[in-house]
Parts: sequence; C-alpha cells; structure tokens
Amino acid sequence: MADVKHTLSLGFGASIVKKKVSLPATEARPWDATSELKVVGTEVPRIDGHLKVSGQAKYTFDVAVPDMLWAAVLRSPHPAARLDSIDTSEAAKQPGVRAVIEVAKRGERLLFAGQDVAAVAAKRPEQARDALAKIRVKYETQPYVVETMEATGERAPVVHQAPVKERRTEGDEPGAGGGGSLRGNVRPLPESARGNVTQGLAQSDVVHEGVYTTPVQTHSALETHGLLVRWDSRKSMTVWCSTQSIFSVRDEMAEVFGLEPRNVHVITEYLGGGFGAKFGASAPGSRLGFIAGQLAREAKAPVKLMCDRHEEHVCTGNRPDSHQTVTLGGRRGRLHAIEVKSYGTAGIGTGAGVGRNAIGIYTRCPNVRVRAHDVFTNGGPGTAMRAPGHPQGAFALELAIDELAAKMKADPLALRLAHDEHPVRRYQMQEGAKAFGWEEARERSAQGRERQARIRRGVGMAASIWGDFGRAKAARATASVMRDGTIEIKNGVQDIGGGIPTVLAQIGAEVFRRPLSTVVVRYGDSEYGSSVGSGGSQTTSSVTPAVRNACEQARGELTEVAAAQLKVAVKDVRWDDEGTAHGGGKSLTFAQVCKKIDGEAIVATATRPATYGHEPMAFPGGPMVQIAGVQMAEVEVDTWTGVVRVPRVLAVHDCGRVMNPLTLRSQVNGGVILGTSYALMEQRVLDNDLGRMLNPNLESYKILGARDTPKIEVLLTEVYAGNNNTGAVGIGEPSTIPTAAAIACALFDALGVPVRSLPLTPDRVLTALGKVPAPGSNKATLARRRIR
Amino acid sequence: MNRFSIVRLPTLQATSARVAESSPGRVLRAGGIDLLDHMKEGLNAPDELVELHAVGGDEGRALRGIETEADGRLRVGALVTLGQLSGFEALPAAFTALTDAAGHAATPGIRNAATVGGNLLQRPRCWYYRHADLVCLKKGGDMCFAQTGDHRYHAILGGGPSYIVHPSSLGAPLTALDAEVEILQNDGTTRRMPIAKLFVGPTVDPMREHDLAPGEILLAVRLPPPPAGLRSAYTSAKEKQSQDWPLAEASVRLRSEGGTLRDVRVALGHVAPVPWRSPQAEAMLEGQAPSADLFERAAVAATEPARPLSGNAYKIPLVQGLLRQALHAAASVPLPQ
Repeated sequence: MADVKHTLSLGFGASIVKKKVSLPATEARPWDATSELKVVGTEVPRIDGHLKVSGQAKYTFDVAVPDMLWAAVLRSPHPAARLDSIDTSEAAKQPGVRAVIEVAKRGERLLFAGQDVAAVAAKRPEQARDALAKIRVKYETQPYVVETMEATGERAPVVHQAPVKERRTEGDEPGAGGGGSLRGNVRPLPESARGNVTQGLAQSDVVHEGVYTTPVQTHSALETHGLLVRWDSRKSMTVWCSTQSIFSVRDEMAEVFGLEPRNVHVITEYLGGGFGAKFGASAPGSRLGFIAGQLAREAKAPVKLMCDRHEEHVCTGNRPDSHQTVTLGGRRGRLHAIEVKSYGTAGIGTGAGVGRNAIGIYTRCPNVRVRAHDVFTNGGPGTAMRAPGHPQGAFALELAIDELAAKMKADPLALRLAHDEHPVRRYQMQEGAKAFGWEEARERSAQGRERQARIRRGVGMAASIWGDFGRAKAARATASVMRDGTIEIKNGVQDIGGGIPTVLAQIGAEVFRRPLSTVVVRYGDSEYGSSVGSGGSQTTSSVTPAVRNACEQARGELTEVAAAQLKVAVKDVRWDDEGTAHGGGKSLTFAQVCKKIDGEAIVATATRPATYGHEPMAFPGGPMVQIAGVQMAEVEVDTWTGVVRVPRVLAVHDCGRVMNPLTLRSQVNGGVILGTSYALMEQRVLDNDLGRMLNPNLESYKILGARDTPKIEVLLTEVYAGNNNTGAVGIGEPSTIPTAAAIACALFDALGVPVRSLPLTPDRVLTALGKVPAPGSNKATLARRRIR
Repeated sequence: MNRFSIVRLPTLQATSARVAESSPGRVLRAGGIDLLDHMKEGLNAPDELVELHAVGGDEGRALRGIETEADGRLRVGALVTLGQLSGFEALPAAFTALTDAAGHAATPGIRNAATVGGNLLQRPRCWYYRHADLVCLKKGGDMCFAQTGDHRYHAILGGGPSYIVHPSSLGAPLTALDAEVEILQNDGTTRRMPIAKLFVGPTVDPMREHDLAPGEILLAVRLPPPPAGLRSAYTSAKEKQSQDWPLAEASVRLRSEGGTLRDVRVALGHVAPVPWRSPQAEAMLEGQAPSADLFERAAVAATEPARPLSGNAYKIPLVQGLLRQALHAAASVPLPQ
C-alpha cells in the first residue's frame, strides 16, 4: 500500500507549526494539536484500583498452585572465594525436601557475598531454609575489594580475571553502554565530548573543581524478585513471574531449558514494582529462573522461589555509586567548559555511567568532555535503575554549576537559561520560577545566611534530559468488537505500576466513542501478543499507538457492517459521540450494529511504525523526541542538628500528549519521592573489612516515609511531538532525574557551603558547617581512616 | 523463623518460674517487637514464648496500669504501651520528656504494641550485632566490629570494649526524671532501684545491657512526684522522620526558682552504651540563671568526656544542638531564630 501524506500541527504552547509526514496506510492519522479528544487526556481513575486496594489483585507473591513446593537458595557468605567442595546429600534427606541442586560449580570463583551456591525445594518454605543449613560447602576465601576508589588502586585485588561481558536489558538507555578494555578493575566507558575542554578551561577566568559522590542505591521494590514455574509437559511450562518484561522472561526460560519460546507461557497479572531490576526470569545477581525451573523439573512439581529482603538487597541489582570530579570553567559570565571524570562501581557488573546532563542539556557551553569508568568490586551487580546514570550525573553537574554561579555572582537559573537550547525546558525554567517564587525564595535564603540563622531555608533547581524510546513493531495489539458490544483490547504488556491498562482502555473508548465500562483490557500474559518491557520509559509510546491502530482497523470493519445495514457506502457512515451510526437518513445504535457482526467478533491486530517526528527538538544521537524536565526544591535545615527536610518540590515536565493526568501525576510523584529518598537517606552500606552489606533490610536501609515526603506540585507542559499516532511520550524516568540534584542545590543555597556527597545526612551537613571536630581532636580515638 | 509454642500462665509467680527454671529456649514475651526481630533475623530461636500478657487479676491490672501510689509516686506498669503512655492525659506536665519520647519512637503501629518494659530491656540495634553471620563481642566473640568498622550510629561516650548505643528512647528521660524500677525476683519478692542501676555498661559485661537475672521480671517504673514548677523536655534527631532510630537524644529536667535553675538533670540517649547522665552539664547549670549562652556552654560540657571513633564525631555537635534545644524548651528560653 502506498504511503499517505498528512499535515500535522505540532509543537507546544503558542509555538505550533505545521509539518508534513508520509505514513503507511495502516497508520492512523496521528492525533495532533488540532485533535479534540474526549477520553484520552482526561482524569480516569485506574480501572484496577479497587482490586489493588481491596487485596483482590493477585501478585506473583500471592499465586499458589496445587502441589507447589518452595525454594530457597544457599548464598556465598564470602565477598570472594573459590568453591572447593559441596555436599548436598544431608540436605536431601531433610523433612519435606524434594529436590536439591548445585548452582555453583566446584572450582568456580564466587565474586560477591550473596552469590548463588545451591538450592533446595521443599514442601514448606521453612523446611527449604532449614535444609540449606545442612549443605556442606568448603570455600577457599580470596582477597577482595568493595570500596570503589580503593579498587582503582594498582594493588587492589582484581575482581574479574577475564574481559567482562555486559549484561544489557531493556532498562538500559538506548545508545548507552559499550566500553574500552579492562585494566585492573577499571574499564573506561565511551567518552562524550565536544569542543576542546583543556583549552576551554585554560581560557576560563573562573574555574570551579569539586569531587562529588553518590552512594549505591538498591531498587527495593515492595514485591521482591521471584517466580513460580510449573512444567506442563516435557517441552512446555507456565511461569508466573514478578517481572517488568514478560517476553524477556519467556526468552530466558526458553533459552535456559532449550524450549520453543511459544511453549513458555508467562503471566504477570500484577507487579509490585521493578524500577529497572526486573528484566528476565533471573535477577542480575542470581539465576532465579534456572533455579526454579530446574528444581521443578527434578522434583516433578511446581516450584515457587521468592527472594527475601536480604537477598533483594544483595543480589537483585542496584544503582551504581559514583565518584565524580567536575571541573567547570566560566568565561566572561558564561559557562565555557565542563569536564566530568567519573568512577563508579556496579559491583561485579557493568554500567556505572553518569548520564547525559553534562553533554546533552547545556548545549551552548562550547567545550565539554565526560569520561566515565566502570570500577569492578566484590559487590552484587548493578543494573538499570530508573534513568540509569542520570541522577548521579545530574547531582554532580548541577551542584557544581551552582557553585560556579556563586563564584561568578550569577543567578543559577539565569546561568542555566543562557546555555540550554531546548525551547520546552527553557519555558519550564521560566514558568517554574514564577510558580515556585524563585526570586523571593533566593532572597530569603540570602537573608538567612547573612543572619547566620539557626534554621535556614534554601531553594535549588535542576534539569533532566531523556528520550522517547518508543519502539516500532515491538508491541502487537489486538482489538475486538464483540457481538454484545464489548470492546476487548489485548496485549501482553505488564503493568509496572504506571497504569497502562487504564490508558489502553481510554484509547479504546476514544476510538469507538464508547463508555469506558464497555472496554475490557487483557494484559499481563504472553498469550495476548508480543509487547515491550517496561523500561526506558517506552511502554505508553510503544503500546498505545499499536492499540489505536488495531482499534481504528476494527472500527473500519464495524463501519462496513453498519454501511451494509444502513444500505449506504462506507464513506457515508457517520458515527456520533454516543457511538451511534448514521447514514441514508437512518440510525443504528452501537448495539444494533454489533449484533450484525458475522461470527463472534471483529478482530484486528496492529503494530506501530518507527518514530516519525520529534518536535520541537531531537534527543542527541537519535531520531527521537527529547523529553524536557525541570524541578525546583526547597529545603529547611537545622544548623544545630544538621537535619534536612524538604518541604516542597515543583516538578515541571513534558511527556508529549498527556494520556491521563491522574496516572501521570502518580508517576511524577513516584519519581520525586524516589529522588528525595536518594537525596536524603538511601545508601547501601558495605563493610570494608567484611565485604558484606550491613543494612540488608528496610530498617537501616532507609527509604523515604510519609513524614519525609515533600508537598509535590506537578506542572505539565504538553507537547505535540508528532512522534507516533497518539503522541504519547514516557515520563517514568525523567521525573526522578533532577530531584536529588535540585535538593542538593537548595541545601547549598541554604548553607552557603556545598554538601558534595549524597545522601545529605546530618553528619555531612554538620561537617560542611565546620562543626565536627577532626579525628584526633577532642581526644578522639583514632581508628583507621575510612572513606564513607 | 523457627517453630515455637506459646505458653500462657495466669500468675506472675508461675510465669517467672516457667522462664527461670528452664533452658534458654524459654523467653518472656510482652510486646514481642524486638523478640520477633531476633527470631526473624535468626539471632534467637526460642522454643517457648511465655506470655506476660496472660497474667491476670490484680497482678495483670498493675502491669497494665498507670496510677499514683500512696507515697505519691507515679507507677507505670511494664506492659503499658508506648502509645498509651504518650497519650495518657492525666500525666503531670512535668513528665513531658517521657511522653514525648514515647510518642516519637518507631511508628504508631509499633507504639500500640511495644511496652515500657520491652523498650527498656530491648537489645541494641548495632548492625554487626544484628548480622546473623557475625559473632561479635555481644554474642560471645572476641571483638567489637564497630570499633574499626562502620560506626556512624555508635557510641561517642562510655564506649569500649563494646561501642553499641543503648536503643531505649525511654531510658534517658526516665533517668532525667529520677525514676526507679520495680523488679520481681525469683524468690517472689520485689526489689526497687534507681533506673541507672538497671543498665549494665560494657566494661561490666558486654553480653548484656540490663541487670535482670533469668526469670526476673521488670514490673514497673516509678516516678517521684514532681515539685511545683518542675519542667522537662525531650529532643531527638533522626535521618528519617518516619520510623527511624534516633542518631541522638537529649532529655532534661529542671525548675526555675527565683530566676535560677534548680534540680537540673541531663540525660542523653543513643550516644553511649547506657542512657548517659551528664554530671558536667548539670553542675554547670545548677543554680545559674538560664540563658542561651549558659545552655551552649552546658552542651559543650556534656560532651567534654566524648571519645568519638573515627567516623562518628558528628554526634558531638549533634547532641550539643539537641541538648541546647531541650534546655531552651524546658526553661522556656526562646530559641534563636
């Protein structure tokens, strides 16, 4: 079929432009600035909300099948060891035990405390755990290193003795990754640069340099990793899995057990959070898929394996830490050079980059160079976590910009505006400043610093950059119109919590102009057709256009049914807003038309083409929309105790056409809460001498609670990007990128001195204020110096 | 968690005897907060939980009651929950430090189950002690991992050979308020002693934090009647405002007489292996006219004996700040802005 040409009205606010696009005939005419939509863009409560709050929604953790066994995994207690011998015979004889497997091989080097060694399946979960204690393992312990900068040293024990294979998932930022060759424990990541940073710094009249650090953060989804495997025959299985990518689970299980992917049925009806760590059947640091499947095969019974909270912290992924040296040059009041050199550890894994703030946002700065390095340590592997690398990079760069601005006596907002070309982000900065009361607040904090007030307030801002990574042909959606008038939408996407089923129901209601209650959405099941993983903020922009195309096709067929009944040509049928068909002076209700459908239903399937537009600005390095965001935060700090509170955050974001303001705000709230938690308290603590995590729980691994949560205001700057037929763009990741950076900048504004390490805990605030006696003074006992 | 049975006996004597006569496998349960933590973390695997809540009659009422006794002392039963204590309106205003401390601990859900007795007798939160794989000094091992490890939450005062901080939030305010404890002994008699004697420091025995023998039961804490004008205050700082352990706490008691401070007591929490009374600060304050400057000097005096480890010296200015805030509140001297 020949392509069809459309003229679209695209852009944002008052800057709407006309653009011509040529699209496949199967592609519905894209919704643009002129489209008047009735359901899409309105506040529709989650269609499954009542099931979740009433406990009827069944998560993987809740699923039980007849004769099901429970698995438990024996994990290495040592940060580095060689497995000498293993004896499972005693464990196999324990009460209730039905299968025991060795997961690590004799002679294998185990590289972090928490690595898989063996596993048991038993009738009851406590029987499985008790049996683990009966497995006899001999380890030869080896030297190890867990602290990032220590691991870069020449004498540090080498973690990986061979080149490292990258484990990439749909959660990684497209285009990121890759790396140079390994030296010791250090592997350089691809450099990004423009201009000449050395020359730029030499030309600068003001130079600021600082070292900024961020901790390892764990995903800490409320539902831990886990799955239930049932072999349905020797060549097929059903898998219930807590995953953010059903089809990656299918593919992993098929590959591990030599099955045809079509014979692996994966179900994820509800998901208790993922944040980037739940791709595939296994966790980044534990072969959960193999273990559950193999135990089930050997025991000839279904096996359920759910991690406990300790395992969830140590072996299911994390956000790598960072140690960033940022050097900025100012010349004649302008930002003239940005240099970032960073080292971070993803434990034994890869991917400790620092995002794109430096290279991608302040594009009017002529000289930029970012050099990041993966540092290998004996810790559980990192993996994608909500905007991988970006919050780390944003924190260091944005706080450094504020420090440079202070030296240059410039307003940090004005300095940013002068170097950011993105029209939406510039608009967001300006509108955000008005809504937030930026100038008055900055004035107030200056007065507090001047008076040396006990309680200080400060405000800060930071920006985010992300791309619309919606994918072509990845999601295949089915839309059916039943003879009873029900519209059914099917796709094997999982709901990570963003509310995609509700949005898909809205698309169906919009296209057919039918009440939402007549639209049924079937999802969370590999039988419902291929789909994308919920990573890279791509779910809505990958799935909604496919669903819309399927709905439009089904509606086309339904129009043919109506035309035959009305005895008019198809082009002469007109549907009104109640879903009634008119033509030839006659009318048929939707129900009347549907009754005339041949067979059970009209069924149409469709996908979406590649992204075709990117108004008003492309993401660097790809033909995709650049998503803009700006956040402003206010802090209150008690200079006597160092306690920092965040009373409010303003989040100004673009996410293309807004599908549902309720679910959108909910995602932004989640991003801000995660970012505030990262700013104020989250940190994995590994003991340097023992190589083990000291806080593998939710008590001493602290996560923001209700009393710590700021008042969050969300301002949406809707953009008609012309990227796909619904105009949807993701928001999950952008909404958490700038939060911690804005809070750190606000703290600098309050105190007049920076705290360059996250989290911004009282010890660091008091240290920054010069109140903490140096070791050795106050007759301090001198234990050895440690890097925190 | 292991399997266990629950034993419910109607009298204190039977309850005490059941725990005293036995193997270490029998333990008393009140709120069960810390006990269940220990069992879930694999630190303790009792086979029998003896329910203190099962004690009935007058004994049971006394365990659960808050009442004024004949000698004018206020008796708070060991099974009174933190929630009940913080919400008990008939308590004299002089005891604000105690009710505030009870009301700021943990979460509303925990406060509705956690008891006064359990709060005083709970084990430390040290992350080395709580690590099931590690045998530290407190568990019969030969070293305190905190001394050279990550001790950001550990003791700056009175540490060594163990550097835990006492986890009770009621310990310091009860110390400041001159409370005594009432203990049922194994022979059926009771003994009373100042609360300071309940707490055992690590130089005496690093393996325990209190002075109760197996089978002995903490029955109540008793507070002396406050003289007219007595005031108290409690302050704490946390890294997280919802459900977190304090980094440090300060409790003070005092009254103003003719423009000077009298009966001053200062006790600090979460800075030492026991609730830490500060005679240095008390001496500096007693008989002086209250002022912001005096409070600042008293706070410095309170931390003069501090011997921080390499990574927790921040607790010195922190607890100084908290003590200043508590003194300002108790003496009604406005805080500087």
